[in-house]
Amino acid sequence: MNISKATGEQKLQLCRTYFRAGFALLPFLWSVNFFWFFKEAFGRNSYAEQKQIKQYVIYSGIGTFIWTVALTAWIIIFQTQRAQWGATADYMSFIIPLGKP
Amino acid sequence: MELHGTQVVKYVLFVCVLLALLSTSAVCGKRLHEKIYESFFGGSCFRRLNGTHQTGCSSAESGSVGALHYVDDNNQLEFLLNSPPAPPYAAILKSDFFTRPNMMRLKNEGGRNITAVIVLNAFNNYTGDTVSFSHELKCPNQFSGILKPNSVETSTCSAMRPEDTWNPWGSGLLHEDFPFPIIIIPDNETVVRLIECFKRFNSFDYENQHLRSLCAVEIKSFMSAAVSTEVCWRRSNYINNLAQTRYCDPLEGKNIYATLFPRKIVDVEEEDDKRAAQVDRNEKFIMVTTRMDTTGMFEGVYGVGAMDSLTGYTILVSVAHTLSRLLSDKKQLQNSNLNILFMIFNGESYDYIGSQRFVYDLENLYFPKPSTHTAPITFDNIEFILDLGTFDDITNIKLHTLSEFPQAKTLLTKLQKYGNTPKYDFNINFQSSVGYQMPPTSAQSFLRKNLSFPAAILNGPPKNRFYHSVYDDGANLKYNYTNSSLDYTKLMGQNDALKYFHSEDVQMKIRNVSAVIAMSLYEMLAGKEYIGEELPSPVLIDEILYCFIKSQNCPLFFAASKPNSFTKLPLIAPNRYISVNRDSQEATIWTYRIMGYLLSQKIPNASQENCTQLPKYWFAGYNKKGECGITTQNFSLALSPAFIIENYNWSSGEYSTWSESTWSSLSSRLFLRPSRTHEIITFTTGIVVFFISFCLIYIISTRSEVLFEDPGPNASTDALNPPTAC
Repeated sequence: MNISKATGEQKLQLCRTYFRAGFALLPFLWSVNFFWFFKEAFGRNSYAEQKQIKQYVIYSGIGTFIWTVALTAWIIIFQTQRAQWGATADYMSFIIPLGKP
Repeated sequence: MELHGTQVVKYVLFVCVLLALLSTSAVCGKRLHEKIYESFFGGSCFRRLNGTHQTGCSSAESGSVGALHYVDDNNQLEFLLNSPPAPPYAAILKSDFFTRPNMMRLKNEGGRNITAVIVLNAFNNYTGDTVSFSHELKCPNQFSGILKPNSVETSTCSAMRPEDTWNPWGSGLLHEDFPFPIIIIPDNETVVRLIECFKRFNSFDYENQHLRSLCAVEIKSFMSAAVSTEVCWRRSNYINNLAQTRYCDPLEGKNIYATLFPRKIVDVEEEDDKRAAQVDRNEKFIMVTTRMDTTGMFEGVYGVGAMDSLTGYTILVSVAHTLSRLLSDKKQLQNSNLNILFMIFNGESYDYIGSQRFVYDLENLYFPKPSTHTAPITFDNIEFILDLGTFDDITNIKLHTLSEFPQAKTLLTKLQKYGNTPKYDFNINFQSSVGYQMPPTSAQSFLRKNLSFPAAILNGPPKNRFYHSVYDDGANLKYNYTNSSLDYTKLMGQNDALKYFHSEDVQMKIRNVSAVIAMSLYEMLAGKEYIGEELPSPVLIDEILYCFIKSQNCPLFFAASKPNSFTKLPLIAPNRYISVNRDSQEATIWTYRIMGYLLSQKIPNASQENCTQLPKYWFAGYNKKGECGITTQNFSLALSPAFIIENYNWSSGEYSTWSESTWSSLSSRLFLRPSRTHEIITFTTGIVVFFISFCLIYIISTRSEVLFEDPGPNASTDALNPPTAC
């Protein structure tokens, strides 16, 4: 979607919706929001809603970062420790790899 | 004619495709992979698991590839183990080189250089006494049976003293876990093909092997299960398992049993507590047991277990048949409450699966199953158990008991008496062995529950150099089919027998043991000495061995089925490995039928219409015309109780926990593997071409106006012409 022709009000609306929806455990939405509205938030041409958009973009960015760190840490821990955890790890998994401990 | 740029490209492409098509169809219609690979058959080692370990082999998920290297002496082995020039390698070992020390070195020192092992059949004429080939443990079923106090090891065999073990030639490789696939090549043509390929491409100029293409194999035998039965069974039954993957299946089969005399038909209650009241305390059984199964390391190349279990099996069937002829009427019995229960256990090679389950069923009053409409049996119903073990040497037999008990004493005197009666000339020496030095057979499952249980085992000293292997075949038993075409359902006197068989024939030796056992049991049942002339028929023994060693397409199997139910049966021996529930269970089905047929009491002049309801059964019979018999055979489940007890402690060692991993394919193929340099050049060329194409496209798209003439907005070269008015 091209937002270049949208009004400031519409942009803010969109950015806010993406930010709020991200709380439903949808970190990818935050990352999309962050990159999509990055130019709008920090671009030169200022308009009334830019300040608010900037706020949402920053929060989305922080959220994305926290999620990335948390997920990376979890994936590393889970992949390295899965075999040791035994039954517990199996109960956490939906797909268990073949032929591996 | 002026051609546009795009048209030129299209034209060139079209010609290219046409040429390509023409050239391939002109050469031959083979697919590319058929030109690169040559498939061949090999019996594959696969993964089995128990409560705590995994054993066997698995390839890499996409198949294991290695250049062939023929190892026929220690120098070749050293070559493979000390940084060889073009790893990875697939070691080819002749079967006499497939030993524990060699395999453990390949496993421990080979690392990533060894990706597969191929075993070649080299025992076409194995007569030397030095040759042995057994992958079973020195103490089979070492971790089950009668255990040492506070230990998981058996007290009836010590691997520390190999001379006293039950399988002194055992390498134990069947119980090792290998990180690479192992296959055995049973047929000699493939052996020649592999060796020729190795000689043509690999076996010269070893230092520069990495500079040329080498003959290599790709073996696929990837196993789904890992770690232990506990893990794979949990994963298979796990509810969140989205893909519904089965990782492993328990080893499972059926025990076959038959009674000498039919039992009373009663309605049995399904509920546990009510069944106890239905036990008939007066009913007594002498149990004669043996095992049905054998095993081996390689799927599809199991071996028939001729000496390791078929002798005992044949003796049991022969004894059962003889007694059913000699004692066809219950009135001949001294004690009319006494009966014989012949029991053939399945899965005994894997920690006594069948007998453990039988004991478990007895404890829960679940044998026989209620659907058989016969009263449940308890331990108190069993007078004693006579278990038939292995009979490698059929002239020296020991009666093993843990402690002395009166029935064993009586039995021994009778065995000794008949074994040495000059009239019959059996010349079998029976000795007593009391104590913990007991062979690994089914009786141990009973003794484990109760050390004073009256159980005796008949067993010969171990002489089988091919225990649980593909070479334990007819030749190992020195068996030749006599094919006398006589009526094997009739008993036979000594003189008749000697007309068709030599006294040294294995058929006669098995007959002699069967005769002694049958006569002793006859005396115990009838209360009088056996003085008749009729003896077990060596013809029947000949036929049983033929069916189970050579071919299922045998007279006995036809006779034991319904008339005209088959025109031809497979020309190979039935598979006697217990396997998993989904497998065909050939040996079980045939055992069930022949026990039914040979123990049945014929109803003369009965018609087929009146012979449809069990226990009556319409057999084809010896002359294939059809006959009606009253049968007594049935089956019980041989699935370890470990799989049905809730929250079973898998590491407790109480019951057998063996399972078999599932796999998606077992295949092996031969091809030429290019040298590493060749592979690197191919790969780099690909990458270079990839990047050049990027540059090319960039240049073309930036210069598109120059290269392709702009036809202007109104030209009709668009892909879709606007429709003209219709």
